[in-house]
Amino acid sequence: MESPSTASPTDRDKAANSSVRMGTASLPAGTDPSAPRSPASRTLIDIEHLDFFYGQTQALNDISLKIQDHKVTAFIGPSGCGKSTLLRCFNRMNDLIDGTRVPRGTIKIHGVDIYQPDVDVIELRKRVGMVFQKSNPFPKSIYENITYGLRLHGKTEKSKLDEIVEKSLRGAALWDEVKDRLHANGLGLSGGQQQRLCIARAIAVEPEVILMDEPCSALDPVATAKIEELIQELRSRFSIVIVTHNMQQAARVSDRTAFFYLGRLIEYADTRDIFTNPANPQTEAYVSGRFG
Amino acid sequence: MTPPEPAPTPPPGFVLHKKRLRFLGLTVEDCIKAFFGGNAIMSIVVLALITYFLFREGAGFFGQNRQNLEVYRQAGLEYVDYLRQQTDDHTALTRYLSDVRLRALNHYAEERKLSFEDASTALAPFDEFAGKFGDAVEPLRGLVSELSDVATAIKTKFIVNEDKKEERRQLLAENKAAEAAQVAITPVDFATELKPLLGTLPAYKDANREFAAQLTTLVSRVPALPTPDLQQRMARWQQLARDYLATFPTVERNLEQWDYRQPVPAWKSFSSFVFGRQWLTASFWQDWYGILPLFVGSLLVSLVALTLAVPLGVGAAIYVNQIASTREQKIIKPCIEFISAFPSVVLGFFGIAVLGQALRLLSQQEWLAWIPGFPYSERLNILTAGCLLALIAVPTIFTLAEDALNNVPTALKEASFALGASRLQTTLKIIVPASLSGIISAVLLGLGRVIGETMVVLLCAGNRIAIPDFGRGLAVITEPVHTMTGIIAQEMGEVVRGSIHYRALFVVGLVLFILSLLINYLAQGIVRRYRISIG
Amino acid sequence: MNPPQHPFSVRPGAVHHREQPVFWLFRVATYFILACGAAVFLNIVVKGAGTVFKTEAPFINTTFLTEAPESLYIFEWEGKKMEMGDREFRAFKEQNPAAAKVKAESFVYSAGGIWPCIVGTVLLVVGSMTIALALGVCAAIYLNEYARDGAFIRFVRLAILNLAGVPSIVFGLFGFGMFVIFFGWNVSLLAGWFTLAFMVLPVVITASEESLKAVPKGFREGSLALGATKWQTIRKNVLPYALPGILTSSILGIARVAGETAPIMFTAAYVVRDKLPWEVEQLGDFFFQGVMALPYHIYVVSSKIPQNEYTERVQYGTAFVFLVIVALIATVSILLRNRLRNRYRW
Repeated sequence: MESPSTASPTDRDKAANSSVRMGTASLPAGTDPSAPRSPASRTLIDIEHLDFFYGQTQALNDISLKIQDHKVTAFIGPSGCGKSTLLRCFNRMNDLIDGTRVPRGTIKIHGVDIYQPDVDVIELRKRVGMVFQKSNPFPKSIYENITYGLRLHGKTEKSKLDEIVEKSLRGAALWDEVKDRLHANGLGLSGGQQQRLCIARAIAVEPEVILMDEPCSALDPVATAKIEELIQELRSRFSIVIVTHNMQQAARVSDRTAFFYLGRLIEYADTRDIFTNPANPQTEAYVSGRFG
Repeated sequence: MTPPEPAPTPPPGFVLHKKRLRFLGLTVEDCIKAFFGGNAIMSIVVLALITYFLFREGAGFFGQNRQNLEVYRQAGLEYVDYLRQQTDDHTALTRYLSDVRLRALNHYAEERKLSFEDASTALAPFDEFAGKFGDAVEPLRGLVSELSDVATAIKTKFIVNEDKKEERRQLLAENKAAEAAQVAITPVDFATELKPLLGTLPAYKDANREFAAQLTTLVSRVPALPTPDLQQRMARWQQLARDYLATFPTVERNLEQWDYRQPVPAWKSFSSFVFGRQWLTASFWQDWYGILPLFVGSLLVSLVALTLAVPLGVGAAIYVNQIASTREQKIIKPCIEFISAFPSVVLGFFGIAVLGQALRLLSQQEWLAWIPGFPYSERLNILTAGCLLALIAVPTIFTLAEDALNNVPTALKEASFALGASRLQTTLKIIVPASLSGIISAVLLGLGRVIGETMVVLLCAGNRIAIPDFGRGLAVITEPVHTMTGIIAQEMGEVVRGSIHYRALFVVGLVLFILSLLINYLAQGIVRRYRISIG
Repeated sequence: MNPPQHPFSVRPGAVHHREQPVFWLFRVATYFILACGAAVFLNIVVKGAGTVFKTEAPFINTTFLTEAPESLYIFEWEGKKMEMGDREFRAFKEQNPAAAKVKAESFVYSAGGIWPCIVGTVLLVVGSMTIALALGVCAAIYLNEYARDGAFIRFVRLAILNLAGVPSIVFGLFGFGMFVIFFGWNVSLLAGWFTLAFMVLPVVITASEESLKAVPKGFREGSLALGATKWQTIRKNVLPYALPGILTSSILGIARVAGETAPIMFTAAYVVRDKLPWEVEQLGDFFFQGVMALPYHIYVVSSKIPQNEYTERVQYGTAFVFLVIVALIATVSILLRNRLRNRYRW
C-alpha cells in the first residue's frame, strides 16, 4: 500500500485538515461556503441498479448510488472491485472496449439517462472530463495540449484561447511553473506536472464533472500532495469523482466515500463515517488494512 | 439518509442530444468508418479478383485441351504414335548397344593397350550385330514417316477448316454475310481421310512379323564380349530386347482396335494436364500440356534450396537469439535483412555470370568426384538455382525462426538454468522444442517464398522441359529443369491471347496460386495449433 | 599451490567446455550466410563500379547513366580494334566511306546507357507506392482503430496474410488478365502501378498497423475524453505520430516494388523503347505507355545476349546501379526504423 510517508508533514497536515474541515462542513445542508452555485446537496449523477459486463464476466452488480453536485466523491476498494469500471461508465469510455454491455440499470446525469440511444457520446464527454491513471499529455506543446479540446469544439479565437489557457493552467496550479515555456513539449514536464497539465486540459473545456482514475498512483509523494491540494481548490468549481487505491488520500480529499468489493457497492457514506465508524464489517476490515 | 429531492432539472446548456448531419441515415463519422472499412476489404477483393481472373483466363483450357486431344485422335496422330513408340523403343535399345560398344572400346584401349585399329577389328562381330539390329527397323521407320505425313496433312486440313469457320463467324458478326458466304468450307471427312492410313495395317503386320523374326534370331545370338561386366550388360540388354519383343502383340492389338470415333472423355483433358509427362508447345506434330515436368522441376529446385537454407537459417537464428552477444546481434540482424533486399533478378544474373561457372569448375575437381553427379557439364542446373534460392530463403527463415525463438517465455529459460542446465542444454532441450511450431512454419513460408520465385529459376535452372532422370539418384540435382514460375515468365510474352497455350499458362498460375495458399494455410495452422501459452 | 577445491569450482571437461564446438557450428552457419551475401554484393559492386565510375574527372560515367541503350559494334579499323555505339558507328561510316563495308560484330544493348530504365523504375515505384500507401494506410486505420474483433476482421486478416504469400508471378498473371486485357490498358504504367501496388499491399498494411499500434492508447483516450470524435482523434492525435513510422516501414515495400521483375514483365515493361516517358503527345497517354525498367533490363541483358567482355560491362553496370539503388532504399529503411523504435518511447 503506497502511503505518503515521505511527504512533508506540513503538506500532509494541511491536506488532512482541509479534508476534515470540508467533511464537517458538508454535513449541514446548504452551509458549504465553497459551493455557491449549488443548492443543498443536489444529486448530480444518479445510478440505479447498474449491472455491467465485460463479455461474460460481470464487473458491476446492482450498483445504486447518488453522487452529489460540487462534492468530492472517492471510490475505494481492492483491485478489480469495479470502481474504475464504474467511473468509466460516467463518460462511456467503456464503449471503446469490445464486448462491454450494460444490460440493466440507468445512469442519469442531471436527470438525463446517458445510456439512451439518442445521447450523443461526444457531447457527454465534453461535459464529463476525465483524468487518467497514467498521465497522458499529447506530444504537443503545453499550449496546444490545453487548447486541443477547445479547438475541437470550434473555439479558435486567439485572444480567447490565450485567456483560457492561462485560466486553466492557473486552475491546475501549473501556471507559475510553465508560463515561460508554453510552447515547449508537454512530454518534457515532470510526472506530477504532466498530470496537472492533464487536469488543466480537462478543465479548459469547462466540464460539469471531472472523473479522476487513480490520478496519483504513478506519482511520488510530493507530486501527490500537490495534486491533492489542487483537488481541494477545484471542488469549488467542479464536481469530482476520484478513484483511489490510497485510503489516506480518500480520507484527505473526499467528502463522500464509496467502498466497492467484488463488483458490489458495500458502503457509501460521508468520508468521516467510513473511516471512523464504518457500518459494514468488510469496510472496517478494508480501511483498517486487514485486506486489499 | 438523503431526503427525497425534487426531480432534477438539468442546468441550462446541459444538452446531451445533438442533431448531426446525416446522409442516408449515416453520420459523417459512420461514413468515414465505412470508407476505411472499404479499404480494409480491398485485400479480400484483390484475393477474389486474383482467383477470378486466373479462373477466367484459365478455365477455357480444359475444354480446348479436350479438343486438342480429340484432333489428335481423329486425325490419326494417335495411331501413328503407337507405331512411333515402337521405333523409339528400338532406338533406345540401339543406344544401349552403342554404350556397350563404347565401354568395350575403352576396355581394349586402356586395359589391353590395343591400338584403335586393333580394337575396331576385335569389335567387328559386335559392330556387325549392332548394324543388323539397327537396320532391322528401317522398313518400320519408313512406314512411320510416311504415315506421319498423312496424319499431319489431315490435321492441317482440319485446322485450316477451323480457322475458316472462325473467319466466317467474325464476318457474320460484322454483318458481312456476302463475304462470309464466300469463305469456302469443306468439312473434313475423317473416315475417308484416314483410309490410306488404316489401309497400311496389313502391310505393317507383315513388316512387323518379319521385324520380330529378325530380332528374335539376333537376340539369341549376341556376340561375345571381353569382360564379365560387359557380358552382364549384354545379358541385361537381351532381357530388355525380349521385353521389347513381348510388347509387339499389344501394339498390333492397339492398332487393330483403334477407332477415330472413340470419344475422348472429359477427365482425360484434366488428367493429361495433371499427370502429363510432357510440356511440348508449338510443335509440328502434337502439343502436350503436362505440368508434371514443371512441377517436378519446381519441387527439386525448392528442395535443394531448403536443404541448404534450413540448417543455415535456423542455425543462424539460434546463434543470434541464444548465443551471440548483443553487439553481434545488432550487426548480424540488419545484415541478414539486407540480404533479403537483394533483387532476385540480380541474384539470377550473378548465377549466370559467376556461380554457374564456379560450381561447374568445383565439380570438376578430382577430390570432389565422390559427390553424386560430379563432375557435370551443364552450367545452369538445379544446383545452381537451388544455391541462389537458398540465399533468398535464408532471410525469411531466419527472421521468422528468430521471432519464434524470441517468443519463448523467459520463464522457461530461467527455470532450466535454475536447474543447473547449461546454455546448450537449455537451448536445444527447452527453447528449440518450445518454438518448434514457429520454426516449422518459418520453413514452410520459406518454401512458399522459394517455390514462387521466378527470376532466379528462369535465369539459372537451365530451362530444359523434361522430368530429370531420377535413376541417377542424388545426381539428379545436376540436371537442368524448367519450373512452373519460369515457364509462365518465359512463354507468356510470346503466346497468342486466348489460345490453348495461353490458357495453359494461366492454369499453371492457378496451380501456383493454390499451392501458395495451401502452404500459407499449413504454416498458420501449425502455429495456431501448437502455440504454447504460459501466463 | 593449487587453489582450494570447493564444490562450485570449474571442473575439467565441464559442460560449458563441451558445448563450445556446437556453438561454433552455429556461429559458422551465421557467418557463412553473411559471407555469401557479401560475396554476391562485392562481386557486383566491384565489377559494376568499373562501368559506372571512371578514373578521370568527373569520375562518373555520365554516358552510362544518362543515355539510352544502343547496340555495340566492334570492328578492325586500320589495324586497331574499334568499339562504337550505334550512332557513333553510323557517323563514323559517313565520315569514312571506306568503313561502310567493314565487317563489324554487334551486340545489342551493350553500348549507351540505362537512363530510360532508371526513369521507368522510378515512375513505377512512385506510382505504385502512392496507390499502395493510400489503400494500405486506410485499411490499417480501419483494422487498428475501428474494427472490433469478429468473423469479418479475422477474414480480412486471413486475406492479408494469404495475399502476402502469393508468388509475384501470379500477381503478374493477374495484372495481365485484369488490367492489360480486361480493362484494355495494354502494357502500360497504369497496369504496372496497380499490379505492384496490390503486391505490396500486405507489406504496407502490416507496417502501418504496427506504427499505429505503437501510438499509446492514452493519446486516444485522452482525446476522446475531451469530447473529440473518433475521426478527430485519429486525424489530430494518432496519425501525426504514426506517420513517420508508417513511411519508414513502407520504404521496405519500396525495395520490394523496385526489385520485382515478374509482375511487370507482362504488365508494364518494354524490352526497348526509344521515347522517354514524358515525350507524349497528350497527358492521358502518359499513363498508358509502357516503360523500360531496370530489373527487366537486367533480365534482358543477362539472358538474351551472350556473355563476353563487351557485354559484361553493361550487364554488371546495370546490376550495380540497380543493386545500389535497392540496397540504399533498404538500408535507409532499416536504419530509420531502428532509430524510430528507439526514439518513440512514450
